[in-house]
Amino acid sequence: MSESTVAPRRGMPVWIQVLVWVGLLALLGLVAFGLRRAQQGTVQPGDTIPDFTLTLFDGYQYAGKSEVKFSELRGKVVVINFWASWCKPCEQEAAELETAWRDYQDDERVVFLGIDYTDTPTPALGYLTKFEITYPNSPDLGSRVSQLFRIKGVPETYFVDPDGKLSYVQVGPFASAAEIHSIIDPLLKP
Amino acid sequence: MFADFGFGVLVITFLLSLYGISAALIGHFKKKQAWVESARLSMLLTFPLLTLGALTLIYLLVTNDFTVKFVYDVISFDMPLYLKITALWGGQSGSLLFWSWLMAAFATAVTLRKWDRDREFLPWVVIVSCVTIAFFLGLNIFFENPFAHFWVSVSGEIFPATFQPANARLVTLDEIGNGTGLNPLLRHPGMIIHPPMLYLGFVAFVIPFAFALAALVTGRTDDRWIRLTRRWTLIAWLFLSLGLVLGGRWAYDVLGWGGYWGWDPVEIAAFMPWLTGTAFLHSVMIQEKRGMLKHWNMILIILTYALVIFGTFLTRSGVLSSVHAFAQSAIGPSFFIFIGVTFVISVALLIYRWAELKSEGQMQSMFSREALFLLNNLLFMGILVVCFWGVISPLISELLTNQKVTVGPPYYERAAGPLFGALLLLMGIAPLSAWGHTTLKNLAAQSNLQLEKRYALAIARLLWKPAVPALLVLIGLFASGIRDIYALIGLTLAALTTSITAYEFWRAARARSRAQQENFFVALWRLAGRNRRRYGGYTIHLGVVLMALGIIGIEMFQTQTQKSMAVGENIQISGYTLRYDSLAQFPSEDGRQVTRAVLSVFDKNGALLGELHPRYDVYPSGEPMTIPGVRSTLADDLYVVLVNWEGVSEQTTPFKIYHNPLVNWLWLGAFVFIFGTLIAAWPDEERETIPAQARSTQAAFQPGD
Repeated sequence: MSESTVAPRRGMPVWIQVLVWVGLLALLGLVAFGLRRAQQGTVQPGDTIPDFTLTLFDGYQYAGKSEVKFSELRGKVVVINFWASWCKPCEQEAAELETAWRDYQDDERVVFLGIDYTDTPTPALGYLTKFEITYPNSPDLGSRVSQLFRIKGVPETYFVDPDGKLSYVQVGPFASAAEIHSIIDPLLKP
Repeated sequence: MFADFGFGVLVITFLLSLYGISAALIGHFKKKQAWVESARLSMLLTFPLLTLGALTLIYLLVTNDFTVKFVYDVISFDMPLYLKITALWGGQSGSLLFWSWLMAAFATAVTLRKWDRDREFLPWVVIVSCVTIAFFLGLNIFFENPFAHFWVSVSGEIFPATFQPANARLVTLDEIGNGTGLNPLLRHPGMIIHPPMLYLGFVAFVIPFAFALAALVTGRTDDRWIRLTRRWTLIAWLFLSLGLVLGGRWAYDVLGWGGYWGWDPVEIAAFMPWLTGTAFLHSVMIQEKRGMLKHWNMILIILTYALVIFGTFLTRSGVLSSVHAFAQSAIGPSFFIFIGVTFVISVALLIYRWAELKSEGQMQSMFSREALFLLNNLLFMGILVVCFWGVISPLISELLTNQKVTVGPPYYERAAGPLFGALLLLMGIAPLSAWGHTTLKNLAAQSNLQLEKRYALAIARLLWKPAVPALLVLIGLFASGIRDIYALIGLTLAALTTSITAYEFWRAARARSRAQQENFFVALWRLAGRNRRRYGGYTIHLGVVLMALGIIGIEMFQTQTQKSMAVGENIQISGYTLRYDSLAQFPSEDGRQVTRAVLSVFDKNGALLGELHPRYDVYPSGEPMTIPGVRSTLADDLYVVLVNWEGVSEQTTPFKIYHNPLVNWLWLGAFVFIFGTLIAAWPDEERETIPAQARSTQAAFQPGD
């Protein structure tokens, strides 16, 4: 091959290099943003709870609807209880929770929500029937809500104040309905 | 305890792969072969070790050890043994372990090859493979431990953890009861082998990538790395293709919406590396033949690896929502860092070696083989851009407008449809084109225009004969009343590509049978044996055409109808009459509650063709599954689904009926496709590479080469 046909060895033009790096960083930035969105939700007392929607179990309704949108509960004290039919400690507190709910069910300022964590419908409905639970209950489809709260296990109960901020987390079962009262009542004081 | 043993094995393998990385680095920089050998041996051990780890988890699954969270999550007592074993990949943490295990199998296999001629690649192949294994094992060890137990704290809370937390005790089997069991939708043969196939495809692409990076680092940028990895790439590609097809078959059989592909983000995430992988398989041939497109091949293999990791990340980090998504987990950030680091290193290396990857040849004509291959690559990239944009647009819209806007199947079909059509056409024409000249004499003798004319004529001369049957097909289709322009184009293109491919086989076999005085079929057999890659490739093309036929059939000619019927009523669809005969509800042996309808199918003339049994099963866990009744022939499928099962009675049973013409060709084509890939990938003795110099002086103009 003659000398003249050998092209000079050239690297990648600088402007293309810049473009490549900018493109790569933009992509990584975008993914980082998406990831941050997906990861949000480590809730601490004082944090505002992000919105979520629950599709209630058959036979349960809230305000005449089978769906509950959390943001529509603003202005109320919301008690969110994570449970599962396979969870023995949950059974210990089931009756206490229901008793506490019955004390408040005529008070418009308090809502109880039960969220069933990694469970199957038949035993879950059996559990609800067995403990005659009347407050709105829903399965946690795709573990979305439990991820939102970053629950570590069941039972766990979250108390949200009327401003939508988390005020208290109970890990493990309640011993009595009075214990539940003692957490809700201070939140109702104006 | 078995679970702790399994976890220990994971930790040891993790440390071993870290050691392999360090030893390879030391060996490379200190030029000490003993260290490199030690690194090789440590990589060799990853597979046996992870086999032990995977077997431990399988043992826990088979023995129903529900104190282990993963076991609890994916199986239940009533599941059959084979499903308990395959539940290994039925959940996030187990499937990550399974991923590492398969990766280790490939890594170990690659250590066993003869390295004499490629010593300089070895440390870097070890590093890339071991980094990948270590990363996935790290995810298992630090975030998603499949061996984590359930514990009970003093306050009575049940929670999962790897090690015994203070003041907590191990949960007892009584406390935990029966496991949740595998989602019934996943209890399908297609679903049992679909994930392993995909994973195999994914992990196998790590090997060519490892060699490519080794070539970049060592500066040995000739086509050796491509020759070494050609078969790995084909195998990877075969598994990936199989995974995609099996996923489609599963959707068709189980999901009950009469389709096979829904443009779901996760489907696309698996499809994207397939696109770049396919482009890569084609463009490496140009580097081998003409020494061109070296940059491009590097970019393609880096992209393929990146898309494999990126796809796995998207589906497992909760960034995108999808029917396939695993429950969100904490692995997102580490995955993200891994992706960032590998992207940056690959791109930096590529830029560093850019000058050395200069093309040895030049593109001479738009109609030369290499130009058409390049066009094929551009079309694949076009489809990739369409897919990529569709996948990330929800993220972009969320960033800009705070609302997730997802694009649906119509977007993909409109944007990618024409590109697929063009690919189909190119698939037919490209095999007729000639490789470009390389000798200077030829170049000087002809002007550009003359050259273009010569290449175009070479194609045209060969094209007219096979074009005749395609034209006849077009006339036939038109005469039979088909007026849909896209369908006409698609089917004609399919016919053209088929006849060209058949013509190519026939032409070459006839030439050989004349020259060698052989029987035509003997000649065909020997020909294919001598140039397996080309004729395997043509066979794959035929498979793709058949698949295209099925896709055109179901996409463009699908008809559907819905009706609530009482027993004894009829419904017509596409010339068939279906009579609703009876309805039965009964429990099956394994505890499922089955609702089954019987319908008789009659053709136009009222002749009975058979019975269909669409059913609706409710599993003991309460999860439902719709199983369509399908009558399948080469011409069409009749696909009946029992909808809205809750209100089912003999008076009103709602049915949804689909008529899917030609869809079976999709699955048949897949078999031809696999067969072709096996022909192309069948091992033969490694031949010495012909130096680029010698190649460039060979007679270059061989139409149909």
